[in-house]
Amino acid sequence: MKLDSGLENSSSIFLGGCSGLEADFSAPPLFDLPITNDFDGWQKKSVQMVKPARGTTTLAFIFKEGVMVAADSRASMGGYISSQSVKKIIEINPYMLGTMAGGAADCQFWHRNLGVKCRLHELANKRRISVTGASKLLANILYSYRGMGLSVGTMIAGWDEKGPGLYYVDSEGGRLKGTRFSVGSGSPYAYGVLDNGYKYDMSIPEAAELARRAIYHATFRDAASGGVASVYYVGPDGWKKMSGDDVGELHYSYYPVVPSVVEQEMTEVPVA
Amino acid sequence: MECVFGMVCDGFVLVAADTSAVNSILVHKSDEDKIMVLDSHKLLGASGESGDRVQFTEYIQKNVSLYQFRNGIPLTTAATANFTRGELATALRKNPYSVNLLLAGYDKETGPSLYYIDYIASCHKVEKGAFGYGAYFSLSMMDRHYRSGMSLEEATDLAEKCIVEIRSRLVVAPPNFVIKIVDKDGARVHKWVDSIKDEGAAAVAAALAAA
Amino acid sequence: MAHKQQRFDPYDMNGGTCVAIAGADYCVIAADTRMSTGYSILTRDYSKLCKLADKCIMASGGFQADVKALQKALSAKHLIYQHQHGKQVSCPAMGQLLSNTLYYKRFFPYYAFNVLGGLDNEGKGCVYTYDAVGSYERVGYSAQGSGSTLIMPVLDNQLKSPSPLLLPAVDAVTPLLEAEAIDLVKDVFASATERDIYTGDRLEIMVVNAAGTRTEYVELRKD
Repeated sequence: MKLDSGLENSSSIFLGGCSGLEADFSAPPLFDLPITNDFDGWQKKSVQMVKPARGTTTLAFIFKEGVMVAADSRASMGGYISSQSVKKIIEINPYMLGTMAGGAADCQFWHRNLGVKCRLHELANKRRISVTGASKLLANILYSYRGMGLSVGTMIAGWDEKGPGLYYVDSEGGRLKGTRFSVGSGSPYAYGVLDNGYKYDMSIPEAAELARRAIYHATFRDAASGGVASVYYVGPDGWKKMSGDDVGELHYSYYPVVPSVVEQEMTEVPVA
Repeated sequence: MECVFGMVCDGFVLVAADTSAVNSILVHKSDEDKIMVLDSHKLLGASGESGDRVQFTEYIQKNVSLYQFRNGIPLTTAATANFTRGELATALRKNPYSVNLLLAGYDKETGPSLYYIDYIASCHKVEKGAFGYGAYFSLSMMDRHYRSGMSLEEATDLAEKCIVEIRSRLVVAPPNFVIKIVDKDGARVHKWVDSIKDEGAAAVAAALAAA
Repeated sequence: MAHKQQRFDPYDMNGGTCVAIAGADYCVIAADTRMSTGYSILTRDYSKLCKLADKCIMASGGFQADVKALQKALSAKHLIYQHQHGKQVSCPAMGQLLSNTLYYKRFFPYYAFNVLGGLDNEGKGCVYTYDAVGSYERVGYSAQGSGSTLIMPVLDNQLKSPSPLLLPAVDAVTPLLEAEAIDLVKDVFASATERDIYTGDRLEIMVVNAAGTRTEYVELRKD
């Protein structure tokens, strides 16, 4: 296993001493690596320790009015639910959102890093970065760490000079432009509902309801997804949160309890 | 599963590829163009891991255009093939790119040519070539029906025959294909052979074109 | 001949449980003081709490050598911050600093499971909870470490507040008074001690409020 992918140039010269506070924020972050002959062993161990929470459902799609983005909010480590309130839709800037599937820390950190890079681009060029550009920035970073065990499956959604934009980016370096994506363990369920109900000509409320419904059905079937179904809309004026509903309560609003007739009462068997 | 194939014909080369972007059991996209127009007279059909495929083909494209900027003349297809092979060979002993390539080009001096380059950096000049699971079907189809000097109609017909065979015999056959050609007039899309269409993608494309 | 080589393994698991609860104007941070390895108890009197700033306390379970290294790194950064800005780091800022510090060792992690508690810039109680590589979240209450899976469901039952993700937003302040929160912490630790071998001996509770911080101790089972 080599350690040279993308890390060669980030020598310790960039960060003076041990503090790291005076670091140039645009410089690539510096990562400590274990001094070991068996890097793969370490990799396994660190991945094992943080048990990537692939259990997730996220989706995003482009429609007439813009982009709709939705996600659940559960984080699990094996069978244990470690949180029911994870913010899986990350607000990169007022016009761009990222979704989170895979390792929670990997997604959170690199999205925060992307937010910094996007702001820096804005200051340098006096205009907002395009969704294409932002997603490529992220894809290139993740590609430079390929094979090192990062686990990220994300969608970058936003509104730029060309209108709505949507990209899927993952830690294998894949980057796909598209109009309809879903990522995470619940994604096949979400795709089922989404593909079926999708029309390009939808109003914003219709699209928001479709997104919410797709997440709800994914949380219903996928044990690793759950919590709150959050729905965001990105339009020409930036993003706006449309809804956030506890899927436990959503279930009863979609399927109210109907009192059913008891067919046969259990009766006590007389003792002989 | 991925299918890329190509053949040298009468004054042009035809390259066809599926357009599915797959992640385990999920098809994320069925209009992903895997044949890059490398420069005005070159096509690069690629199959392999999505990250490597895009990064490597873009890297080759950028270097080929850098050469053209610096020297005022484009690389020939043969030179491009050898350059690409060299990059793969260098990477092979460090961090290999898992990409297989079909490089098609048209040069004034030598006419149309097709190169088969795989991820372990072998490079062959061929008349016809194929990659991926589709290769099992398309290779025999081309062996049977290909002859040198085919016309565009004949070549298109053969490519479509291959696509039909793949769709009917391959378990996880991709639904959509794109056929591109390169001849003396340049490299371009010849035809999309779609069996499913994505309403969203079409509508977004239409909306963008209108704007 | 296939022969598995013995590798040097610099990680250990010393156990320990940490809990933090945020209230309207206070924060309670608590951890037991047992430190163990395997079935051996190394000491019954090891503090897992670390006061990083005036209104910011970190409690950490996991591997105590890594925890100590982490505490020293954060304390050093805080000292430099004080010299540069002449003030204490706010708890939300320390929250993100801890996240970044953990992530910078993504490929050689600190084996530490942390909760950070304190008061935010408005004087409200705040709790941040982490995984080993720096994913973090602001919450109303949290438990980390070996007994967290025993304690968390009880806290959910007693304190469960509406999710911050809900829209329309619902006020999510922990409804307890400071004294009630402290009593709850004592109870959950007494319970965890009954069933978790890595939790016990003594409970150290730190309470942060507008008046400052104070510490109190409660004895736990020592078996």
